[in-house]
Amino acid sequence: MQYALLVYSPAEDTDRAARPVPDSLVAQLGRPHVTGWTRLHADESATTLRGDGGRMLLTDGPFIDSKEYLAGLILIEAVNLDGALAIAADLFQEIRPGSAIEVRPVLGGHFRGA
Amino acid sequence: MALDAVFRDQWGRVLAILAGILGDLELAEDAAAEAFAIAAERWPRDGEPANPTGWLVATARHRAIDQLRRQQVLAAKTKLLARDLEFTSRGPEALMDDAATIPDERLELIFACCHPALAPESQVALTLRTLGGLSTEEIALAFLVPFETMSKRLTRAKHKIRDAGIPFAVPPDHQLPDRLAAVLAVVYLTFNQGWGGSRVDLAAEAIHLGRALAGLMPDEPEVLALLALMLLNDARKAARERDGLIIPLDDQDRARWDTRQIDEGRALLQRAVARARSGPYLIQAAIADLHLHEPRDWRQIAALYQALARQTGSPVVEMNRAIAVAEIDGPEAGLAILDRLDLDHYRYFHSTRAGLLRRAGRDAEAHDAYRRALALVQTEQEQRFLAGRLAETAPAAQDEPGMPGAFPA
Repeated sequence: MQYALLVYSPAEDTDRAARPVPDSLVAQLGRPHVTGWTRLHADESATTLRGDGGRMLLTDGPFIDSKEYLAGLILIEAVNLDGALAIAADLFQEIRPGSAIEVRPVLGGHFRGA
Repeated sequence: MALDAVFRDQWGRVLAILAGILGDLELAEDAAAEAFAIAAERWPRDGEPANPTGWLVATARHRAIDQLRRQQVLAAKTKLLARDLEFTSRGPEALMDDAATIPDERLELIFACCHPALAPESQVALTLRTLGGLSTEEIALAFLVPFETMSKRLTRAKHKIRDAGIPFAVPPDHQLPDRLAAVLAVVYLTFNQGWGGSRVDLAAEAIHLGRALAGLMPDEPEVLALLALMLLNDARKAARERDGLIIPLDDQDRARWDTRQIDEGRALLQRAVARARSGPYLIQAAIADLHLHEPRDWRQIAALYQALARQTGSPVVEMNRAIAVAEIDGPEAGLAILDRLDLDHYRYFHSTRAGLLRRAGRDAEAHDAYRRALALVQTEQEQRFLAGRLAETAPAAQDEPGMPGAFPA
Protein backbone atom coordinates (compact mmCIF):
# COMPACT_ATOMS: atom_id res chain seq x y z
CA MET A 1 0.00 0.00 0.00
CA GLN A 2 1.11 3.57 -0.61
CA TYR A 3 0.90 6.26 2.02
CA ALA A 4 1.52 9.99 1.96
CA LEU A 5 3.25 11.45 5.00
CA LEU A 6 2.43 15.14 5.35
CA VAL A 7 4.90 16.85 7.62
CA TYR A 8 3.65 19.94 9.43
CA SER A 9 6.20 22.13 11.17
CA PRO A 10 6.07 25.22 13.36
CA ALA A 11 7.30 28.50 11.92
CA GLU A 12 11.07 28.98 12.11
CA ASP A 13 13.01 32.16 12.69
CA THR A 14 16.00 31.20 10.56
CA ASP A 15 16.09 31.10 6.78
CA ARG A 16 14.78 27.68 5.81
CA ALA A 17 16.58 27.58 2.47
CA ALA A 18 19.90 28.24 4.18
CA ARG A 19 19.45 25.23 6.47
CA PRO A 20 20.23 21.89 4.86
CA VAL A 21 18.28 18.74 5.65
CA PRO A 22 19.98 17.03 8.61
CA ASP A 23 22.05 13.95 7.66
CA SER A 24 19.97 11.63 9.81
CA LEU A 25 16.83 12.70 7.94
CA VAL A 26 18.59 12.37 4.58
CA ALA A 27 19.52 8.81 5.50
CA GLN A 28 15.87 8.01 6.29
CA LEU A 29 14.67 9.53 3.04
CA GLY A 30 17.08 7.28 1.17
CA ARG A 31 15.61 4.07 2.51
CA PRO A 32 13.93 1.74 -0.03
CA HIS A 33 10.38 2.18 1.28
CA VAL A 34 10.48 5.91 0.46
CA THR A 35 9.28 6.20 -3.13
CA GLY A 36 9.40 9.99 -3.34
CA TRP A 37 9.66 13.13 -1.28
CA THR A 38 9.52 16.85 -1.57
CA ARG A 39 10.63 19.59 0.81
CA LEU A 40 8.69 22.83 0.56
CA HIS A 41 9.63 26.44 1.16
CA ALA A 42 7.98 28.06 4.17
CA ASP A 43 4.40 29.19 3.72
CA GLU A 44 5.28 32.89 3.35
CA SER A 45 6.43 31.97 -0.14
CA ALA A 46 3.05 30.51 -1.08
CA THR A 47 0.45 31.92 -3.45
CA THR A 48 -3.10 30.61 -3.38
CA LEU A 49 -5.68 30.38 -6.18
CA ARG A 50 -9.31 30.15 -5.26
CA GLY A 51 -12.72 30.89 -6.74
CA ASP A 52 -14.59 34.04 -5.84
CA GLY A 53 -18.02 34.45 -7.41
CA GLY A 54 -17.02 32.94 -10.75
CA ARG A 55 -13.65 34.72 -10.88
CA MET A 56 -10.28 33.25 -10.02
CA LEU A 57 -8.61 35.08 -7.15
CA LEU A 58 -4.94 35.14 -6.19
CA THR A 59 -3.92 35.67 -2.59
CA ASP A 60 -0.52 36.03 -0.99
CA GLY A 61 0.15 33.21 1.46
CA PRO A 62 -1.02 29.63 2.13
CA PHE A 63 -4.56 28.29 1.82
CA ILE A 64 -4.83 27.62 5.53
CA ASP A 65 -3.09 30.13 7.74
CA SER A 66 -2.00 28.32 10.85
CA LYS A 67 0.81 28.07 13.36
CA GLU A 68 2.17 24.93 11.67
CA TYR A 69 2.66 24.84 7.93
CA LEU A 70 2.98 22.00 5.42
CA ALA A 71 6.76 21.62 5.30
CA GLY A 72 7.04 18.51 3.17
CA LEU A 73 5.48 15.44 1.63
CA ILE A 74 6.96 11.94 1.74
CA LEU A 75 5.56 9.01 -0.24
CA ILE A 76 6.16 5.54 1.20
CA GLU A 77 5.36 1.93 0.49
CA ALA A 78 4.15 -0.19 3.44
CA VAL A 79 2.27 -3.45 3.96
CA ASN A 80 -0.43 -1.86 6.10
CA LEU A 81 -1.08 1.07 8.42
CA ASP A 82 1.10 -0.38 11.19
CA GLY A 83 4.02 -0.50 8.76
CA ALA A 84 3.36 3.08 7.65
CA LEU A 85 3.12 4.28 11.26
CA ALA A 86 6.43 2.60 12.12
CA ILE A 87 8.13 4.44 9.23
CA ALA A 88 6.46 7.70 10.27
CA ALA A 89 7.60 7.15 13.86
CA ASP A 90 11.24 6.82 12.70
CA LEU A 91 10.95 10.03 10.68
CA PHE A 92 9.28 11.77 13.60
CA GLN A 93 12.50 11.39 15.59
CA GLU A 94 14.41 13.39 12.99
CA ILE A 95 12.12 16.36 12.42
CA ARG A 96 11.91 19.59 14.40
CA PRO A 97 10.18 19.67 17.80
CA GLY A 98 6.56 20.80 17.56
CA SER A 99 6.16 19.10 14.19
CA ALA A 100 3.47 16.57 13.34
CA ILE A 101 3.15 13.91 10.66
CA GLU A 102 -0.19 13.12 9.08
CA VAL A 103 -0.36 9.62 7.57
CA ARG A 104 -2.89 9.35 4.75
CA PRO A 105 -3.43 6.39 2.39
CA VAL A 106 -2.85 7.12 -1.30
CA LEU A 107 -5.79 6.60 -3.64
CA GLY A 108 -3.71 6.90 -6.81
CA GLY A 109 -1.11 9.06 -8.55
CA HIS A 110 2.33 9.36 -10.07
CA PHE A 111 5.57 10.94 -8.93
CA ARG A 112 8.26 11.92 -11.41
CA GLY A 113 11.43 12.57 -9.42
CA ALA A 114 13.55 15.73 -9.53
CA MET B 1 -29.33 -25.30 20.58
CA ALA B 2 -31.92 -22.57 20.00
CA LEU B 3 -31.34 -20.75 16.72
CA ASP B 4 -30.97 -17.32 18.33
CA ALA B 5 -28.28 -18.59 20.66
CA VAL B 6 -26.41 -20.24 17.77
CA PHE B 7 -26.50 -17.02 15.79
CA ARG B 8 -25.29 -14.94 18.69
CA ASP B 9 -22.51 -17.40 19.24
CA GLN B 10 -21.49 -17.53 15.58
CA TRP B 11 -21.77 -13.91 14.51
CA GLY B 12 -18.40 -12.73 15.84
CA ARG B 13 -16.59 -15.87 14.65
CA VAL B 14 -18.00 -15.74 11.12
CA LEU B 15 -17.49 -11.99 10.80
CA ALA B 16 -13.90 -12.28 12.00
CA ILE B 17 -12.99 -14.85 9.36
CA LEU B 18 -14.69 -12.91 6.58
CA ALA B 19 -13.13 -9.60 7.64
CA GLY B 20 -9.72 -11.22 7.61
CA ILE B 21 -10.25 -12.57 4.09
CA LEU B 22 -11.85 -9.45 2.60
CA GLY B 23 -10.04 -6.72 4.58
CA ASP B 24 -13.34 -4.88 4.49
CA LEU B 25 -15.66 -4.97 7.48
CA GLU B 26 -18.63 -3.47 5.67
CA LEU B 27 -18.47 -6.03 2.88
CA ALA B 28 -17.96 -8.78 5.47
CA GLU B 29 -20.97 -7.60 7.48
CA ASP B 30 -23.25 -7.46 4.45
CA ALA B 31 -22.16 -10.92 3.35
CA ALA B 32 -22.51 -12.35 6.84
CA ALA B 33 -25.96 -10.79 7.26
CA GLU B 34 -27.07 -12.39 4.01
CA ALA B 35 -25.71 -15.77 5.08
CA PHE B 36 -27.45 -15.56 8.45
CA ALA B 37 -30.71 -14.59 6.74
CA ILE B 38 -30.47 -17.64 4.50
CA ALA B 39 -29.71 -19.80 7.53
CA ALA B 40 -32.71 -18.41 9.40
CA GLU B 41 -34.84 -19.50 6.50
CA ARG B 42 -33.27 -22.90 5.81
CA TRP B 43 -32.08 -24.33 9.13
CA PRO B 44 -35.50 -24.56 10.81
CA ARG B 45 -36.64 -26.46 7.71
CA ASP B 46 -33.56 -28.57 6.89
CA GLY B 47 -31.99 -28.83 10.35
CA GLU B 48 -28.82 -27.20 11.64
CA PRO B 49 -25.65 -28.26 9.76
CA ALA B 50 -23.01 -30.29 11.58
CA ASN B 51 -20.58 -27.42 11.16
CA PRO B 52 -22.54 -24.17 11.41
CA THR B 53 -19.47 -21.91 11.23
CA GLY B 54 -18.23 -23.59 8.07
CA TRP B 55 -21.66 -23.38 6.47
CA LEU B 56 -22.05 -19.69 7.30
CA VAL B 57 -18.53 -18.73 6.17
CA ALA B 58 -18.84 -20.64 2.89
CA THR B 59 -22.25 -19.12 2.16
CA ALA B 60 -21.11 -15.60 3.06
CA ARG B 61 -17.97 -15.95 0.95
CA HIS B 62 -20.06 -16.75 -2.12
CA ARG B 63 -22.27 -13.72 -1.49
CA ALA B 64 -19.20 -11.50 -1.07
CA ILE B 65 -17.66 -12.72 -4.34
CA ASP B 66 -20.96 -12.12 -6.12
CA GLN B 67 -21.10 -8.64 -4.65
CA LEU B 68 -17.55 -7.85 -5.77
CA ARG B 69 -18.31 -9.10 -9.27
CA ARG B 70 -21.38 -6.90 -9.44
CA GLN B 71 -19.30 -3.94 -8.32
CA GLN B 72 -16.72 -4.85 -10.97
CA VAL B 73 -13.89 -4.30 -8.57
CA LEU B 74 -12.76 -7.87 -8.90
CA ALA B 75 -9.43 -6.89 -10.43
CA ALA B 76 -8.49 -4.75 -7.48
CA LYS B 77 -9.35 -7.53 -5.11
CA THR B 78 -7.43 -10.31 -6.82
CA LYS B 79 -4.82 -10.15 -4.10
CA LEU B 80 -7.50 -10.76 -1.51
CA LEU B 81 -9.12 -13.50 -3.54
CA ALA B 82 -5.77 -15.22 -3.97
CA ARG B 83 -5.51 -15.50 -0.23
CA ASP B 84 -9.12 -16.56 -0.09
CA LEU B 85 -8.51 -19.34 -2.62
CA GLU B 86 -5.52 -20.50 -0.60
CA PHE B 87 -7.73 -20.55 2.45
CA THR B 88 -10.30 -22.79 0.80
CA SER B 89 -7.94 -24.84 -1.39
CA ARG B 90 -9.48 -27.96 -0.02
CA GLY B 91 -12.78 -27.02 -1.62
CA PRO B 92 -15.97 -25.53 -0.17
CA GLU B 93 -17.38 -28.92 0.89
CA ALA B 94 -14.29 -29.55 3.00
CA LEU B 95 -14.76 -26.17 4.62
CA MET B 96 -18.25 -27.09 5.67
CA ASP B 97 -17.22 -30.50 7.00
CA ASP B 98 -14.21 -29.82 9.15
CA ALA B 99 -14.73 -27.44 12.04
CA ALA B 100 -11.20 -27.97 13.32
CA THR B 101 -9.54 -26.29 10.34
CA ILE B 102 -11.49 -23.08 10.69
CA PRO B 103 -9.30 -20.73 12.68
CA ASP B 104 -10.87 -18.52 15.29
CA GLU B 105 -9.99 -15.05 14.07
CA ARG B 106 -11.92 -13.11 16.67
CA LEU B 107 -8.71 -11.91 18.31
CA GLU B 108 -7.55 -10.44 15.02
CA LEU B 109 -10.93 -8.76 14.65
CA ILE B 110 -10.93 -7.26 18.13
CA PHE B 111 -7.42 -5.87 17.73
CA ALA B 112 -8.48 -4.25 14.44
CA CYS B 113 -11.57 -2.72 16.08
CA CYS B 114 -9.47 -1.38 18.97
CA HIS B 115 -6.63 -0.01 16.84
CA PRO B 116 -5.25 3.31 18.16
CA ALA B 117 -5.86 4.91 14.75
CA LEU B 118 -9.58 4.79 15.60
CA ALA B 119 -11.13 7.22 18.07
CA PRO B 120 -12.01 5.58 21.43
CA GLU B 121 -15.75 5.96 20.94
CA SER B 122 -15.39 4.32 17.52
CA GLN B 123 -13.41 1.45 19.06
CA VAL B 124 -16.19 0.80 21.57
CA ALA B 125 -19.00 1.03 19.00
CA LEU B 126 -17.21 -1.16 16.48
CA THR B 127 -16.32 -3.83 19.05
CA LEU B 128 -19.90 -4.06 20.25
CA ARG B 129 -21.23 -4.15 16.69
CA THR B 130 -18.85 -6.77 15.33
CA LEU B 131 -17.97 -9.01 18.25
CA GLY B 132 -20.97 -8.28 20.42
CA GLY B 133 -23.39 -8.51 17.55
CA LEU B 134 -25.43 -5.60 18.90
CA SER B 135 -27.45 -3.63 16.37
CA THR B 136 -26.61 -0.01 15.58
CA GLU B 137 -29.84 1.01 17.28
CA GLU B 138 -29.01 -0.92 20.46
CA ILE B 139 -25.57 0.68 20.68
CA ALA B 140 -26.99 4.17 20.06
CA LEU B 141 -29.53 3.63 22.85
CA ALA B 142 -26.96 2.28 25.28
CA PHE B 143 -24.68 5.29 24.82
CA LEU B 144 -27.46 7.87 24.65
CA VAL B 145 -26.47 8.97 21.15
CA PRO B 146 -28.82 9.58 18.19
CA PHE B 147 -29.09 6.66 15.77
CA GLU B 148 -27.78 8.73 12.83
CA THR B 149 -24.68 9.71 14.77
CA MET B 150 -23.89 6.13 15.77
CA SER B 151 -24.58 4.89 12.24
CA LYS B 152 -22.15 7.44 10.76
CA ARG B 153 -19.56 6.68 13.44
CA LEU B 154 -19.64 2.97 12.60
CA THR B 155 -19.53 3.54 8.84
CA ARG B 156 -16.59 5.94 9.12
CA ALA B 157 -14.70 3.49 11.29
CA LYS B 158 -15.28 0.57 8.91
CA HIS B 159 -14.22 2.69 5.93
CA LYS B 160 -11.13 3.84 7.75
CA ILE B 161 -10.10 0.26 8.47
CA ARG B 162 -10.50 -0.55 4.79
CA ASP B 163 -8.97 2.60 3.25
CA ALA B 164 -6.09 3.18 5.67
CA GLY B 165 -5.14 -0.48 5.80
CA ILE B 166 -5.67 -1.17 9.49
CA PRO B 167 -4.53 -4.79 9.73
CA PHE B 168 -6.60 -7.71 11.03
CA ALA B 169 -3.80 -9.17 13.10
CA VAL B 170 -2.68 -9.84 16.63
CA PRO B 171 0.02 -7.22 17.29
CA PRO B 172 3.66 -8.28 17.60
CA ASP B 173 4.95 -8.96 21.12
CA HIS B 174 6.59 -5.57 21.62
CA GLN B 175 3.30 -3.80 20.92
CA LEU B 176 0.99 -6.29 22.60
CA PRO B 177 0.89 -4.80 26.13
CA ASP B 178 -0.28 -1.38 24.93
CA ARG B 179 -2.65 -2.75 22.32
CA LEU B 180 -4.16 -5.25 24.76
CA ALA B 181 -4.63 -2.48 27.31
CA ALA B 182 -6.76 -0.64 24.72
CA VAL B 183 -8.91 -3.73 24.13
CA LEU B 184 -9.42 -4.27 27.85
CA ALA B 185 -10.28 -0.58 28.28
CA VAL B 186 -13.04 -0.92 25.67
CA VAL B 187 -14.49 -3.95 27.45
CA TYR B 188 -14.30 -2.32 30.88
CA LEU B 189 -15.84 0.92 29.64
CA THR B 190 -18.71 -1.12 28.20
CA PHE B 191 -19.17 -2.87 31.55
CA ASN B 192 -19.21 0.39 33.52
CA GLN B 193 -21.62 2.03 31.12
CA GLY B 194 -23.93 -0.83 32.03
CA TRP B 195 -24.33 0.50 35.55
CA GLY B 196 -26.08 3.57 34.13
CA GLY B 197 -29.26 1.63 33.48
CA SER B 198 -30.49 1.33 29.90
CA ARG B 199 -32.58 -1.11 27.95
CA VAL B 200 -29.51 -2.92 26.63
CA ASP B 201 -27.64 -4.98 29.20
CA LEU B 202 -24.15 -3.70 28.48
CA ALA B 203 -22.72 -5.31 31.59
CA ALA B 204 -23.77 -8.71 30.24
CA GLU B 205 -22.31 -7.81 26.83
CA ALA B 206 -19.02 -6.84 28.43
CA ILE B 207 -18.85 -10.09 30.38
CA HIS B 208 -19.62 -11.99 27.18
CA LEU B 209 -16.71 -10.20 25.45
CA GLY B 210 -14.51 -10.80 28.47
CA ARG B 211 -15.24 -14.52 28.31
CA ALA B 212 -14.37 -14.64 24.61
CA LEU B 213 -11.09 -12.87 25.34
CA ALA B 214 -10.29 -15.19 28.24
CA GLY B 215 -10.90 -18.16 25.97
CA LEU B 216 -8.66 -16.71 23.26
CA MET B 217 -5.88 -15.48 25.57
CA PRO B 218 -5.98 -17.84 28.57
CA ASP B 219 -2.39 -17.08 29.61
CA GLU B 220 -2.78 -13.31 29.87
CA PRO B 221 -3.26 -12.37 33.55
CA GLU B 222 -4.86 -8.99 32.84
CA VAL B 223 -7.46 -10.61 30.58
CA LEU B 224 -8.38 -13.13 33.29
CA ALA B 225 -8.31 -10.40 35.95
CA LEU B 226 -10.68 -8.14 34.01
CA LEU B 227 -13.22 -10.93 33.67
CA ALA B 228 -12.80 -11.69 37.39
CA LEU B 229 -13.35 -8.02 38.22
CA MET B 230 -16.51 -7.82 36.13
CA LEU B 231 -17.94 -11.05 37.58
CA LEU B 232 -17.20 -10.05 41.18
CA ASN B 233 -18.97 -6.73 40.63
CA ASP B 234 -21.86 -8.15 38.66
CA ALA B 235 -22.45 -10.80 41.35
CA ARG B 236 -23.83 -8.11 43.65
CA LYS B 237 -26.26 -6.78 41.06
CA ALA B 238 -29.45 -8.23 42.58
CA ALA B 239 -28.63 -6.84 46.01
CA ARG B 240 -27.56 -3.44 44.79
CA GLU B 241 -31.02 -2.08 44.23
CA ARG B 242 -34.31 -2.33 46.11
CA ASP B 243 -37.52 -0.42 45.28
CA GLY B 244 -35.60 1.79 42.89
CA LEU B 245 -33.08 2.78 45.58
CA ILE B 246 -29.35 2.09 45.57
CA ILE B 247 -28.19 -0.02 48.51
CA PRO B 248 -24.56 0.56 49.57
CA LEU B 249 -22.40 -2.54 49.92
CA ASP B 250 -22.51 -2.54 53.74
CA ASP B 251 -26.31 -2.69 53.72
CA GLN B 252 -26.74 -5.29 50.99
CA ASP B 253 -28.51 -8.60 51.53
CA ARG B 254 -25.65 -11.04 50.87
CA ALA B 255 -28.09 -13.86 50.24
CA ARG B 256 -28.89 -12.09 46.98
CA TRP B 257 -25.30 -12.18 45.77
CA ASP B 258 -24.69 -14.59 42.89
CA THR B 259 -22.37 -17.23 44.39
CA ARG B 260 -21.64 -18.85 41.03
CA GLN B 261 -20.29 -15.59 39.67
CA ILE B 262 -18.30 -14.99 42.83
CA ASP B 263 -16.79 -18.48 42.70
CA GLU B 264 -15.97 -18.12 39.02
CA GLY B 265 -14.49 -14.67 39.62
CA ARG B 266 -12.33 -15.93 42.45
CA ALA B 267 -11.09 -18.90 40.42
CA LEU B 268 -10.08 -16.55 37.60
CA LEU B 269 -8.37 -14.27 40.10
CA GLN B 270 -6.32 -17.21 41.38
CA ARG B 271 -5.29 -18.13 37.85
CA ALA B 272 -4.30 -14.54 37.16
CA VAL B 273 -2.31 -14.23 40.39
CA ALA B 274 -0.49 -17.47 39.57
CA ARG B 275 0.93 -15.76 36.46
CA ALA B 276 3.00 -13.61 38.83
CA ARG B 277 2.70 -10.43 36.79
CA SER B 278 0.89 -7.49 38.33
CA GLY B 279 -1.35 -5.10 36.47
CA PRO B 280 -4.18 -2.64 37.14
CA TYR B 281 -7.02 -5.10 36.53
CA LEU B 282 -5.40 -7.70 38.75
CA ILE B 283 -5.22 -5.23 41.62
CA GLN B 284 -8.78 -4.04 41.07
CA ALA B 285 -10.05 -7.63 41.01
CA ALA B 286 -8.19 -8.37 44.24
CA ILE B 287 -9.79 -5.29 45.81
CA ALA B 288 -13.23 -6.35 44.58
CA ASP B 289 -12.68 -9.73 46.20
CA LEU B 290 -11.59 -8.16 49.50
CA HIS B 291 -14.77 -6.05 49.55
CA LEU B 292 -16.81 -9.26 49.62
CA HIS B 293 -15.31 -10.43 52.90
CA GLU B 294 -16.84 -9.57 56.24
CA PRO B 295 -15.31 -7.89 58.17
CA ARG B 296 -13.34 -6.02 55.53
CA ASP B 297 -9.56 -5.95 55.66
CA TRP B 298 -9.25 -2.20 55.15
CA ARG B 299 -5.48 -2.16 55.57
CA GLN B 300 -5.06 -4.64 52.72
CA ILE B 301 -7.54 -2.68 50.63
CA ALA B 302 -5.72 0.61 51.31
CA ALA B 303 -2.37 -1.00 50.46
CA LEU B 304 -3.72 -2.33 47.16
CA TYR B 305 -5.18 1.07 46.25
CA GLN B 306 -1.76 2.56 46.92
CA ALA B 307 -0.14 0.04 44.55
CA LEU B 308 -2.82 0.80 41.96
CA ALA B 309 -2.32 4.56 42.35
CA ARG B 310 1.39 4.08 41.71
CA GLN B 311 0.69 2.05 38.56
CA THR B 312 -1.99 4.29 37.10
CA GLY B 313 -1.49 7.76 38.63
CA SER B 314 -5.28 8.02 38.67
CA PRO B 315 -6.93 10.54 41.03
CA VAL B 316 -10.05 8.33 41.18
CA VAL B 317 -7.92 5.56 42.61
CA GLU B 318 -6.60 8.00 45.23
CA MET B 319 -10.21 8.88 46.01
CA ASN B 320 -11.00 5.24 46.69
CA ARG B 321 -7.85 4.94 48.78
CA ALA B 322 -9.11 7.85 50.85
CA ILE B 323 -12.26 5.87 51.66
CA ALA B 324 -10.16 2.93 52.88
CA VAL B 325 -7.85 5.20 54.89
CA ALA B 326 -10.91 6.78 56.52
CA GLU B 327 -11.94 3.32 57.74
CA ILE B 328 -8.56 2.87 59.41
CA ASP B 329 -7.62 6.38 60.59
CA GLY B 330 -10.95 8.19 60.68
CA PRO B 331 -12.79 10.55 58.30
CA GLU B 332 -10.42 13.51 58.69
CA ALA B 333 -7.52 11.39 57.43
CA GLY B 334 -9.58 10.46 54.38
CA LEU B 335 -10.62 14.07 53.80
CA ALA B 336 -6.97 15.16 53.88
CA ILE B 337 -6.31 12.91 50.88
CA LEU B 338 -9.44 14.09 49.04
CA ASP B 339 -8.49 17.74 49.50
CA ARG B 340 -5.38 17.19 47.37
CA LEU B 341 -7.39 15.86 44.41
CA ASP B 342 -8.78 17.74 41.41
CA LEU B 343 -12.01 15.87 40.66
CA ASP B 344 -14.54 18.68 40.72
CA HIS B 345 -16.34 17.32 37.64
CA TYR B 346 -16.78 13.83 39.14
CA ARG B 347 -20.04 13.22 40.95
CA TYR B 348 -18.67 10.38 43.08
CA PHE B 349 -15.95 12.70 44.39
CA HIS B 350 -18.54 15.00 45.89
CA SER B 351 -20.66 12.19 47.28
CA THR B 352 -17.57 10.56 48.79
CA ARG B 353 -16.48 13.83 50.35
CA ALA B 354 -20.00 14.36 51.62
CA GLY B 355 -20.04 10.97 53.32
CA LEU B 356 -16.75 11.60 55.09
CA LEU B 357 -17.71 15.14 56.08
CA ARG B 358 -20.84 13.77 57.66
CA ARG B 359 -18.91 11.15 59.64
CA ALA B 360 -16.60 13.94 60.79
CA GLY B 361 -19.63 15.82 62.09
CA ARG B 362 -19.31 18.59 59.51
CA ASP B 363 -22.93 18.44 58.39
CA ALA B 364 -23.25 21.84 56.74
CA GLU B 365 -20.28 21.10 54.48
CA ALA B 366 -21.67 17.61 53.85
CA HIS B 367 -24.94 19.18 52.76
CA ASP B 368 -23.10 21.39 50.23
CA ALA B 369 -21.13 18.45 48.90
CA TYR B 370 -24.28 16.37 48.43
CA ARG B 371 -25.81 19.27 46.54
CA ARG B 372 -22.82 19.42 44.19
CA ALA B 373 -23.03 15.66 43.63
CA LEU B 374 -26.75 15.95 42.90
CA ALA B 375 -26.05 18.58 40.23
CA LEU B 376 -23.83 16.09 38.37
CA VAL B 377 -26.02 13.01 38.78
CA GLN B 378 -26.78 10.77 35.76
CA THR B 379 -29.42 8.22 36.72
CA GLU B 380 -32.72 8.26 38.55
CA GLN B 381 -31.52 5.86 41.23
CA GLU B 382 -28.48 7.99 41.98
CA GLN B 383 -30.71 11.05 42.06
CA ARG B 384 -33.02 9.50 44.63
CA PHE B 385 -30.10 8.25 46.74
CA LEU B 386 -28.43 11.67 46.84
CA ALA B 387 -31.69 13.52 47.36
CA GLY B 388 -32.19 11.33 50.40
CA ARG B 389 -28.74 12.13 51.75
CA LEU B 390 -29.32 15.82 51.05
CA ALA B 391 -32.50 15.76 53.09
CA GLU B 392 -30.74 13.98 55.95
CA THR B 393 -28.03 16.62 56.14
CA ALA B 394 -30.37 19.59 55.80
CA PRO B 395 -29.99 22.07 58.68
CA ALA B 396 -33.39 21.09 60.15
CA ALA B 397 -32.58 17.37 60.06
CA GLN B 398 -29.55 17.47 62.42
CA ASP B 399 -31.12 15.06 64.89
CA GLU B 400 -31.76 12.26 62.36
CA PRO B 401 -29.57 9.17 62.92
CA GLY B 402 -26.53 9.29 60.63
CA MET B 403 -26.10 6.76 57.87
CA PRO B 404 -22.49 5.81 57.28
CA GLY B 405 -20.82 4.63 54.12
CA ALA B 406 -19.85 6.39 50.99
CA PHE B 407 -21.27 5.84 47.53
CA PRO B 408 -20.90 4.01 45.10
CA ALA B 409 -22.12 0.57 46.12
